[in-house]
Amino acid sequence: MAIEDYRGDVEMCCRCGACKHIPLQKVKGIEHSYACPSIAKYNFHAYSGSGRLLIAKEMLTKGFKYTDKLLDIVYNCQMCGACDISCKYAMDMEVLLPINEFRIKCVEEGHTHPALEKVINSLRKQGTMVPGARGKRAAWAEGLGLKDATKEKVAVYYHVGCLTSYDKNYQKLAKATAKILKKAGVDFGIGYENESCCGGRAFQMGYKEDFLNQAKKNMAMLKKAGVKTLVTGCAAGYQAFKVLYDKYNLKGKLEVVHITEYLARLIKEGKLKLNKKVNMTVTYHDPCYLGRLGEPWIHWEGKRIPGYKFVFDPPKEYRRGTNGVYEPPREVIKSIPGLKLAEMDRIKEYAWCCGAGGGVNQSNPEFAMWTAKERIEEAESTGAEAIATACPWCEKNFNEAIKKSGSALKVYDIVELVEKAI
Amino acid sequence: MAISKDVYKEFEDVVGEENISDDPAIKDAYRSPNITVVLPGDTEEVAAVVKLCNKHKIPFKAQSTGWSFMPPTYDFIFLDLRRMNCIIEINEKNMYAVVEPYVISAELQGELFKRGMICNVKGSGSTCTALAMSGHGHMGLTTSTGDRNDLATEWVTDEGEIIRLGTLGASDEWFCGDGPGPSLRGILRGGGVITKQATKVYHWPGPSVYPLEGSSPRYTLSQKPSDLNMMVRYFSFPSIEKLVEAELKIGESEIAFELMGFCPSMVSSNITTSNEEDFATLDKFTKEVQGPGFMVIIAGNFPEDFAYKKKVLAQIIKETGGKSLKTVEDPAVESTLLFQCTRVCASIRETFRAGGAFSSMMVQGQRYDNHVRWLEEAAVLKRELIKKGLVIADDGQQFGWGEEQGHLGHTEIFCRFNPYDEKSSKAVQEWLGKVGKRALDGCFAVPAMGVLPIDEIGKHVSNYHIWFGKLKKAFDPNEVGENTGYSYVGADISGVHTSIYKKEPEKASSKK
Ligand SMILES: Cc1cc2nc3c(=O)[nH]c(=O)nc-3n(C[C@H](O)[C@H](O)[C@H](O)COP(=O)(O)OP(=O)(O)OC[C@H]3O[C@@H](n4cnc5c(N)ncnc54)[C@H](O)[C@@H]3O)c2cc1C
Ligand code: SF4
Ligand code: SF4
Repeated sequence: MAIEDYRGDVEMCCRCGACKHIPLQKVKGIEHSYACPSIAKYNFHAYSGSGRLLIAKEMLTKGFKYTDKLLDIVYNCQMCGACDISCKYAMDMEVLLPINEFRIKCVEEGHTHPALEKVINSLRKQGTMVPGARGKRAAWAEGLGLKDATKEKVAVYYHVGCLTSYDKNYQKLAKATAKILKKAGVDFGIGYENESCCGGRAFQMGYKEDFLNQAKKNMAMLKKAGVKTLVTGCAAGYQAFKVLYDKYNLKGKLEVVHITEYLARLIKEGKLKLNKKVNMTVTYHDPCYLGRLGEPWIHWEGKRIPGYKFVFDPPKEYRRGTNGVYEPPREVIKSIPGLKLAEMDRIKEYAWCCGAGGGVNQSNPEFAMWTAKERIEEAESTGAEAIATACPWCEKNFNEAIKKSGSALKVYDIVELVEKAI
Repeated sequence: MAISKDVYKEFEDVVGEENISDDPAIKDAYRSPNITVVLPGDTEEVAAVVKLCNKHKIPFKAQSTGWSFMPPTYDFIFLDLRRMNCIIEINEKNMYAVVEPYVISAELQGELFKRGMICNVKGSGSTCTALAMSGHGHMGLTTSTGDRNDLATEWVTDEGEIIRLGTLGASDEWFCGDGPGPSLRGILRGGGVITKQATKVYHWPGPSVYPLEGSSPRYTLSQKPSDLNMMVRYFSFPSIEKLVEAELKIGESEIAFELMGFCPSMVSSNITTSNEEDFATLDKFTKEVQGPGFMVIIAGNFPEDFAYKKKVLAQIIKETGGKSLKTVEDPAVESTLLFQCTRVCASIRETFRAGGAFSSMMVQGQRYDNHVRWLEEAAVLKRELIKKGLVIADDGQQFGWGEEQGHLGHTEIFCRFNPYDEKSSKAVQEWLGKVGKRALDGCFAVPAMGVLPIDEIGKHVSNYHIWFGKLKKAFDPNEVGENTGYSYVGADISGVHTSIYKKEPEKASSKK
């Protein structure tokens, strides 16, 4: 699909502005009523979901004119999909997909962002989205005696992800995950140096070809290793393997499970016992790529039925955020003795982004920080001592924003909380 | 837009570099190739921008949230008031709220709910500005209509003068639009920029926050509406006379919180989450109803009040031969209608989802007899378009609601269609012209402006447009302000709300 294939959708935008906000019935007042970080920060309508569609509509008719401002608009979007959910509460049309295709077109036509180019170069050279990554991908696993899933058959393949593998501050998440899985008696392995970037963030940044290369490489490796179930703790990775690989018919029968889903399962089955008290109140941040964008892909091919109605043959089923991963992380939190959950105003399918999505943490760190700070303030307003999340990119962005703002809020990944409880 | 670099710089000096743009991408998003967009942050910046427009004789136009904004075809400075988004005050004792233009109704309503209060919300939806301006909405029965809710107002005239109207002219108080202090409420109908306004608020018998559960697009209430002392029903009637009788009795007895003269298609759009589901549901409803109908919401302050109101409603329905639509009695469906039609959060399901555009003719003032009869004629004409397959088939139905317990009213009929189908668009335009003219010629009502030329409407209403033209001239000697026909602020004058602007705006150097 290309932007041209979404002409019908972009033409449907009625400019109501609902995509700027969380679903309107959820608005509790003047605070936390916005869903789209980009319009909230940059104000010109162009920065909203609707504005992006209206630009696409004009340019599909009159041709694509790339100005600096246009590229500023394009790259200052977290691809978080909040606009898509709010719109589809009422409309039958795609919002995020054409926004994504617009960015892909920019990249394909050479209108890239220098900071993102750097990241992609690192991907091409080193197979990781962490530019300047040094050392081995699985250095964190040294001495842990984990199985190499590419050499021996295991029930579960743990895909660690770029940030967790290479960033020294987040290797703790990999270690905690390994410890928990071992404790629960799970037969699992990792890919060691054969693990490669999932490509998900490259896709968000508009680099579709690089994403596809990574996807093909990964699927070949996983197939060869006979992997049936892949577990990951990275929300971007989860969405890539589960949704994007499926979209491009690359996933096959691979079962993709986020670590929070897997832990919830282990807890339910009694294989993982959480008995140490963690006396704390946390709030939970739904990562966009686990929550609303973690909703399974729906394969559909059809045509608009000619006439006055916007209907299709066969009927089109839209991904409206209903089936994202919202409950498992909450179930895990609720299973930890002593841990209390205080919800924020913007949760689940209408959660506010952490700020790191769409490569914004690399292309415009200031905007990424601004977005994260908004979330930190929202988290603080619940009275929680910590914000828990389920993605290393969110955790990193929150930690940086907290450092800058001097907030006392703590940040944990759910695996860290579980580790405390075993 | 062709303004010189120097002039651009003057505007930039007022609002700051990051709040002005004439980049093609920015213009595309505002659907106008003719603009320079400025984002003023406060009243003083608005006034300074307007003064510059006067100095350079460049037309300007402002928008609040921009939903019904129709870009003019001339070059202009466009004030997007997005940055002016504060609730200045909620005065519980005197029952008003003061807002800036980009406070949306959902935000104000959310704040008010916490205080047991509610404001009027325009039928267009709670994404629109909470400024009172002109606006009719679902809850008009108890929250009246926009232009009867506006109190003191801060207004930047077309010349850039900041005027404080009503009590604000004599004090810091916002409680009255007419004084002590100057009252210009009668002429606040297009022109200038409203920068702050007090709007009346009303008692809200419902919950401070709706107990919603589930995921989009199927939210529902975790409690039955009856547990909240609330009830939603849809009744159809054997004849228009019986419907009118029931509406009048409900108004007289003051038992309803909301009375929305929905046609079945608006009910089905509201409760369904896709077009396919909508059309199937509508088919079912059309067979179930016995004639024209309305949706009514009862809200009790306490159980006994609720029981009393329900009892009176039952009696009225019995006397008028009303028939309840069974689907709406299902608490899940009832819940959806309850929060959607009080929070006004799904109007695009009703209007845009089906075909991409809708085009409406409305009459305002009263609702009964004349207006409802005009509707019947308009519906007959609409059915001809349906028969030809030019607009969405919804049996030619129409809607409307009583305001202030039925002393006033709003009556409307629209066609939903595919705006990219030229035949449909043309047919709908012609239909609008015909029904608008019929309203005037048949002495049924004065149709909303935009479809018929202002001169034609004006001569039926005391040639008010001539007087208004004179006033406009006095306030706007440089002719830089809005002059598209002295429309009321709040809804742009074009009767067509489409999502496209097919025609290239004419390249006009001046708006004249
Ligand atoms: C689908 C749909 C349904 C609708 N249904 C209804 C309905 O049921 N009842 C009803 O009353 N209306 C209805 N409308 C019209 C409605 O009044 C407007 O949509 C709403 O008031 C617009 O608010 P806004 O903030 O989006 O105004 P905008 O679109 O920003 O502006 C509308 C007009 O007001 C002017 N304006 C805006 N703000 C200011 C200001 N601060 N100072 C001076 N001029 C200003 C603009 O120049 C423009 O001419 C509907 C519109 C749509 C699209
Ligand atoms: S993208 Fe959807 S929600 Fe946003 S303005 Fe367009 S129709 Fe409305
Ligand atoms: S994807 Fe997110 S940041 Fe981008 S326009 Fe939509 S809501 Fe805004």
